[in-house]
Amino acid sequence: MGRLLVLFVALSLGVGGCRRSSEETGAGGRTRIVFKFQPLWGDPKPFRELLAQYERANPDVELVTEALPNASDLAHQFFLTSLQGGATDFDVLVADVVWVPEFARAGWVADLSEDFPPERLREEFLPGPVDAVVMNGRTYAVPWYVDVGILYYRTDLVPRAPRTYDELRRFTRDAMAKAPGIQGYVWQGRQYEGLTCNVYEAIWGHGGQSLGPGGRVLLETEPAREALTYLHGLIAEGLSPRTVTGFGEEEARRVFQEGRAVFMRNWPYAWREAQAEGSPIRGKVGIAPLPTKDGQPGWGTLGGWQLAVNAHVSPARRKAAARLIAHLTSPEANRVLALHYARNPPRLALYDDPELRAAEPFIASLKEALMRARPRPVTPYYLLIADVLQSEFSAAVAGLRTPEEALTRAQKQVDHLTGEQPDEEPE
Amino acid sequence: MRGAGSQARERRQAYLLVAPAVLVLVVVALYPVLAAVWLSLHRFILVFGERRFTGLENYVYLMGDARFWSALGNTAYFTAVAVAVELLLAVPLALLLNRAFPGRGLLRASVLVPWAIPTVVSARLWAWMFNPDYGLINRLLGGADINWLGAPGYALHAAILVDVWKTTPFVALLVLAGLQGIPEDLYKAARVDGASEWRQFRSITLPLLKPALLLALLFRSLDAFRVFDAIYVLTEGGPANTTETLSIYAYKTLMRSGDFGYGSTLAVATFLGVVLLAVVWLRWLGREEGRR
Repeated sequence: MGRLLVLFVALSLGVGGCRRSSEETGAGGRTRIVFKFQPLWGDPKPFRELLAQYERANPDVELVTEALPNASDLAHQFFLTSLQGGATDFDVLVADVVWVPEFARAGWVADLSEDFPPERLREEFLPGPVDAVVMNGRTYAVPWYVDVGILYYRTDLVPRAPRTYDELRRFTRDAMAKAPGIQGYVWQGRQYEGLTCNVYEAIWGHGGQSLGPGGRVLLETEPAREALTYLHGLIAEGLSPRTVTGFGEEEARRVFQEGRAVFMRNWPYAWREAQAEGSPIRGKVGIAPLPTKDGQPGWGTLGGWQLAVNAHVSPARRKAAARLIAHLTSPEANRVLALHYARNPPRLALYDDPELRAAEPFIASLKEALMRARPRPVTPYYLLIADVLQSEFSAAVAGLRTPEEALTRAQKQVDHLTGEQPDEEPE
Repeated sequence: MRGAGSQARERRQAYLLVAPAVLVLVVVALYPVLAAVWLSLHRFILVFGERRFTGLENYVYLMGDARFWSALGNTAYFTAVAVAVELLLAVPLALLLNRAFPGRGLLRASVLVPWAIPTVVSARLWAWMFNPDYGLINRLLGGADINWLGAPGYALHAAILVDVWKTTPFVALLVLAGLQGIPEDLYKAARVDGASEWRQFRSITLPLLKPALLLALLFRSLDAFRVFDAIYVLTEGGPANTTETLSIYAYKTLMRSGDFGYGSTLAVATFLGVVLLAVVWLRWLGREEGRR
């Protein structure tokens, strides 16, 4: 009862405090800026302290945080409609890697090159995230935390991480013979964005690129055909369960975590769960870059979030917003996010940080994979074509269409959406 | 006999009384439809601020758009199979609920539970039941290894199953209402004539139930043709768009891609499909009604 009372008093004091500060805005004329982001999972205190630091350092600014839905496509819809309408009710926003080119070309996010020159970003940050936020030599967002696709393997079932696709297939076959009833390689094959990431990783692994000449999204290529053949082949040969065509990240993780799969492609988040107390595979898991056709370390898809400034707000608010971004992407903030929320830092220096290396050796070990993280096609058209890629890739992986057919169909639709003319047609 | 003047006044009054309803319809139904038609004549891509009139270009592309035709096929198949199964199941269910037995009230109420659960919730529930590894469905099938939501061919039928589970009670309720409108005398007379139960069903129940059945057919098929939520939650249209209906295609184009021109074209195509279906059913319904 006593504790309840304390809580009640604390709450009412808190509410009172809020009201007072908003009154101060009216009288004192502090700049009010709004930060719109998805809440981080975990203990909210360290992050709140991070925001409080900014407020203490900027007494002329009142910082307000607003939550977004925790689903990327819903958040995108929100920004699409509100930024298009010229909304000014938020200043700093988080953007998924694939949104930045789109928003930049639409003129919805401010050019931050003054505060964050591209050259400096290139020196201080991982290359993949910088590629995703710099367009035509201008900076439109700053990487906040990063993600990359990696390969998980069972150290008790395979001799080492496979380097080539052939090795992956051979190791899988051997392990499945050794441990009857176990499934082979699980990945994300459901028709959604995760599938696109898996397919692009296979395209890069077969020597392909995301974009053709002139920035055109080119799909009718030999590496793309090989990539789809490879992924469908895994299922057809029984090296991946047929059910992967219905798998997202969590479905794959559950199977792997229960010890029922040899390999898994997933994001780094799955590590913590796999190594948690009571996990059946604790201590039997290794990670590595994805394999490739010729054996060099693979390129994982770049994921993660960036901070950008709403281009519609006043210059004063823009300045305060840029300062908030500088604060939230500082090395100290990077460290807080890594230590308390297991979010990978985009800053290179953090990977040599002794405190981080000691507390989170796993995060530090991801540097190689992160150095080779690649964004999906960096084009303002990406979200327009994402849906086409998902459905045609899904058709090829599920064996409903041949890779050639799927890629031809995808190319035709993508060209229609981006307004590209097919080559044979005269201008 | 009433005078011509009072007749005209009555007619004016009738128009006046109907006017608010018509006005509301114009605002909430006609305007959006016309706006969609107008948008469908443009290339209008939100993120580029690009908006220009292109006439029928979108419709020309639609005619050659394989994805549109497969979505139309999925929609038609879903509608036909789901509605047929629902009607077939609803009639015996309604006959059962129409009988007098202890606990009938409770049963009538509980039958409606699937219909009362929000579709999104029940679809999520079913998605778990369809899970090939943990799901109840495969376990009930004796440990079968069916990849319900991930395999082309299965996924659409899984969606149909969810729809049938959810809306059969609603159809049964419509049929039950029809059953209760049949005068008991007819059955009494039939029994006096020595007609068997089956004969009574065929010669009395079924013909007199026809209007109710046709109404259910109309309601459900128009509804099923616009299906969105259940399938979207189950599969998002995958795998390989084999469960993509017209509504899902239109939604993705409009909201995810922000391609308002072509998205509107798809929405207009869906609308035309619904109108066509409604016209066909209503003409049939009207003819049946007229014959009685």
